[in-house]
Amino acid sequence: MSGFLQNTFNGLVGGAFYALLALGLAVIFGMLRVVNFAHGAFYMLGAFGAYVLLAEAGVPFWAALVIMPLALGLLGMVLERAVIHRLTRLDPLYNFLLTFGLTLILQDLVKSRYGVQSSPYATPDELSGTVDFGLFDFPTYRVFILAFTVLLCGAVWWVLGRTRIGMVVRAATERPELTRAFGIDVGKWVTPVFGFGIALAGLAGVLAAPMRAVNPLMGADLIIVVFAVVVIGGLGSIFGSVAAGFGIGLIQAWGEAYLSDYPLVSQTVVFVVMAVVLLWRPAGLFGREEAPA
Amino acid sequence: MAAASAAALLVAGCGGGGPQSGGDSKLTGDKIVLGVLNDQSGAYSELSGRNSVKAVEMAIADFKAKHGDDAVTKDITVETADHQNKPDVANSKAQEMIDRKGVDAILDVPTSSAALKVADVAKEKKKLYFNIGAATTDLTGKSCNKYTFHYAYDTYMLAHGTGTVTTEQVGKNWYILYPNYAFGQDMEKSFSAAIGAAGGQVVGKDGAPFPNTSGDYSSFLLKAPTLNPKPQVLGTMQAGAELVNVVKQYNEFKLRDKGVGLAVGLMFITDIHSLTPAALAGTTYTDAWYWNFDRQNREWADRFQSETGTRPSFAHAANYSAAMQYLEAVQAAGTDDADAVVKQLEGKEVNDLFLRNGKIRAEDHRVVHDAYLAQVKPQAEVTEPWDYVKILKTIPAAEAFRAPSADCKL
Amino acid sequence: MTERTELREGREGMPGQHGMTSAVDTPVEKPAPRSGLLAVARAPGWVRYALLAAGLLVALWLPNGLYPAVAVDILCWALFAVSVDLLLGFTGLMSFGHAAFWGTSAYLTGLVAIHAGLPFPAAVLAGALGAALLALPIGYLAVKRTGIYFAMVTLAFAQMVYYVANEWRSVTQGENGLQGVPRAFFGADLTDDYYFYYAILPIVLLGLFAAWRIVHSPFGRVLVGIRDNPARARALGYPVHRYKLTAFVLSGFLAGLGGGLFAVGHRFVSLDVLHWTTSGKAVIVVVLGGIGTLWGGVLGAALVVRLEDWLSFSGFEAIGLVTGGIFVLVVLLFRRGVWGTVAHLARRRAAMRRDRSG
Repeated sequence: MSGFLQNTFNGLVGGAFYALLALGLAVIFGMLRVVNFAHGAFYMLGAFGAYVLLAEAGVPFWAALVIMPLALGLLGMVLERAVIHRLTRLDPLYNFLLTFGLTLILQDLVKSRYGVQSSPYATPDELSGTVDFGLFDFPTYRVFILAFTVLLCGAVWWVLGRTRIGMVVRAATERPELTRAFGIDVGKWVTPVFGFGIALAGLAGVLAAPMRAVNPLMGADLIIVVFAVVVIGGLGSIFGSVAAGFGIGLIQAWGEAYLSDYPLVSQTVVFVVMAVVLLWRPAGLFGREEAPA
Repeated sequence: MAAASAAALLVAGCGGGGPQSGGDSKLTGDKIVLGVLNDQSGAYSELSGRNSVKAVEMAIADFKAKHGDDAVTKDITVETADHQNKPDVANSKAQEMIDRKGVDAILDVPTSSAALKVADVAKEKKKLYFNIGAATTDLTGKSCNKYTFHYAYDTYMLAHGTGTVTTEQVGKNWYILYPNYAFGQDMEKSFSAAIGAAGGQVVGKDGAPFPNTSGDYSSFLLKAPTLNPKPQVLGTMQAGAELVNVVKQYNEFKLRDKGVGLAVGLMFITDIHSLTPAALAGTTYTDAWYWNFDRQNREWADRFQSETGTRPSFAHAANYSAAMQYLEAVQAAGTDDADAVVKQLEGKEVNDLFLRNGKIRAEDHRVVHDAYLAQVKPQAEVTEPWDYVKILKTIPAAEAFRAPSADCKL
Repeated sequence: MTERTELREGREGMPGQHGMTSAVDTPVEKPAPRSGLLAVARAPGWVRYALLAAGLLVALWLPNGLYPAVAVDILCWALFAVSVDLLLGFTGLMSFGHAAFWGTSAYLTGLVAIHAGLPFPAAVLAGALGAALLALPIGYLAVKRTGIYFAMVTLAFAQMVYYVANEWRSVTQGENGLQGVPRAFFGADLTDDYYFYYAILPIVLLGLFAAWRIVHSPFGRVLVGIRDNPARARALGYPVHRYKLTAFVLSGFLAGLGGGLFAVGHRFVSLDVLHWTTSGKAVIVVVLGGIGTLWGGVLGAALVVRLEDWLSFSGFEAIGLVTGGIFVLVVLLFRRGVWGTVAHLARRRAAMRRDRSG
């Protein structure tokens, strides 16, 4: 029983990363119809930024947790204005390709400066212990990640549901034609929303630094899984991406714990689910069906 | 000195050949070309990569200094290419090096799939190949051939040393975690055999998915301390970034505090550097060579550092040694004809920077030498950068590697 | 008559409603020829023949000017790129999982060559047929979606194939790769890549010719019609899904042909052939050469393979920086690709001349 609870807890922690990354991808897709391939690269930059701040300027984890999302969000906004914006009126596949190229560039820039070897990043002292839950104990850092992510997703939920910005974003994401028909100027929110999505990826990267290998390729394979997660949740669906993130995290953890003799299951389950969802409910589990093609 | 170089100029002016061969040199193109083919941009680029080219250049300089005017040739160069860890690229580059760049011997080539492919190329083109970067024992087993030599480490060496000594000195009960592919499975088998032979037992073992995109090993790490009997050692066979993930999470779950020590199947000094010694203190692993082991190593490491700005891994030292031994064999044979050079190398007993009590086995072309059981020092004992381990035991060359395999027919 | 060689640009304010497609005023019944090649096709006869002859001459000369193994790679990748362009340029579907077909055929070809000892063209044919067979169920499911969703579905299936090959070690040899694929050909000695190049050249030309025939057949014109306006094609009674599926399977076959030759060319197969980065590289090649130009893919393959070959000897470590940089520039500035841009300029000059004379 305690083993099951622990594995469940781990699944939620793994899912928290998927959720943060998927949430960013989903708002970006919703607002710009761009599938941002470079999302994994920004996750990597978040983790690397935390490492560089600590190693070269002595900036601690807590500060990095604020600085990196802001810095990357800003970088994202610059990128949106400079290049992505120029392609948003074209077929969305062009931006997919553009961000694919950007990924190669960002990875190599980091690689040529810091090498491919994983960089060290220790868990902050305050979070390095374990928490006793009675039935089992659990690393404090993981508890922190889970609590932090849940709070953050809750905050995003509140902003989207209760504020004017949130309403515009939600409307533009979920009913783009209608929103424009009402004469709401969606355009001015595009850049900040892109920046916000990137900031979330950077935040996930900082959170990952103490528990995952920090190297230039850390986001490369992960992003493929996150694509699957957002597609499952529904491209552009804010709630769906978070739910699917946690869901896939749980399935993977249980698969690894209880089906470890069948590694194929835990490796491919996310893609199988993705294919099934796309064919059965093309807009994703929580997405709104688009106008038929 | 000036006279020597003037004489060299004269000789070179006469015919371009070395003094031994006079006008009609036995060397193709009157020169020797060494080819370093390895990963210069991916996961293995730091533990070997372009700094191995530097190491080979050092070997050439030392060879020239040693033999002076008696050298078989003064025209020795290095060609290099980046195989990007892609076996198909390794294949094309190996052929291109030999056909187009006139390479006489290929060195390094990490990752097993690439190494096995390059061994094929060497056999077909009848050129020498010194594998350093890849660990598969197939190179001296069913895929061995006359022109391929296996330097440095292999899975047997890694598993045998760590498995045996750790069982004797740290704990008898093991839990083994391995990446579920050829290398990991190989390592798990070798480890289990070594542990059993040393009187220990494997109380549990699990193959983790490979590649492990989620980067999470917690289900295995949670399981380890709950096994009965409780394992005293966690043996992880993960390498590179996956090893970093395992170790970070091992520390997160405080397994050391729960009485489960850590032994690593394959670790390079660059891995310790990136994880920091604090995260690994007390961990045991087998090393093929350590830069701060004795004065000879240290002096070479100082030279290496002045060339590259970093301390050498065993792969760098092995590249240096392989280049040196090849050049010496050409010198002794007086020709770069591959068959003649192989004859020189086979059965040769060597002591050099890298090979201690070394012997180039004629039966399977395994190059055997002393190996070392290393333990990562606690942070407090680390007095200078890169000096991260102490050597617990020297494993004699005769025990460090497996006996020649019956599968190998040269 | 309108002439378009690049992807349709979506209508303002309605990006991405149908992926690659958007409303276009060309009637489907009488589709306008669109490939870059057709700029040439409408050029005077002597230009057409001169270009064809020049292309063939270059193909015949290639292994004399380039390292033969690199020339062989170019041929294989040319087929791969053309297969991707058949979908991307002429059917409006971007497959981001074409490595599944390239790689499956590579493994099948290797296994057939090793275990059955057949001459290599037979092994390659078996591999390509296997790839086409795999394309049938994947395509059946995937063509129900368009645009970015199609890209995602194909990516998902390709990942599944990758992991299956990774786990099925008794057959694929997993990470060690399938070593020792023979180049049997009725006792002829093809170990030298120089001769092997000429041995596979006819097969590759046949594959390219097949792609050209497909594009210029009535079937190909319907595909373009579907790409430009699926709703109209459907209204006209064309079974849109079936047309797309046929294109998908044909494309899978061509990719398989390339992959099989690649396996025999390297005499081994590794998991890389199935990795998603291989799918990504195929798309890069097509975009660089020019989407919807067919021959652009061939040119793109030559450029990318040659560039990578040069980079790996150059001592320049940031290969991704160069390929990524070039790719970003192409996407931002030269969306017609190399071939498309040249064809466009040539057409414009011809048009200007006509205007002047008229």
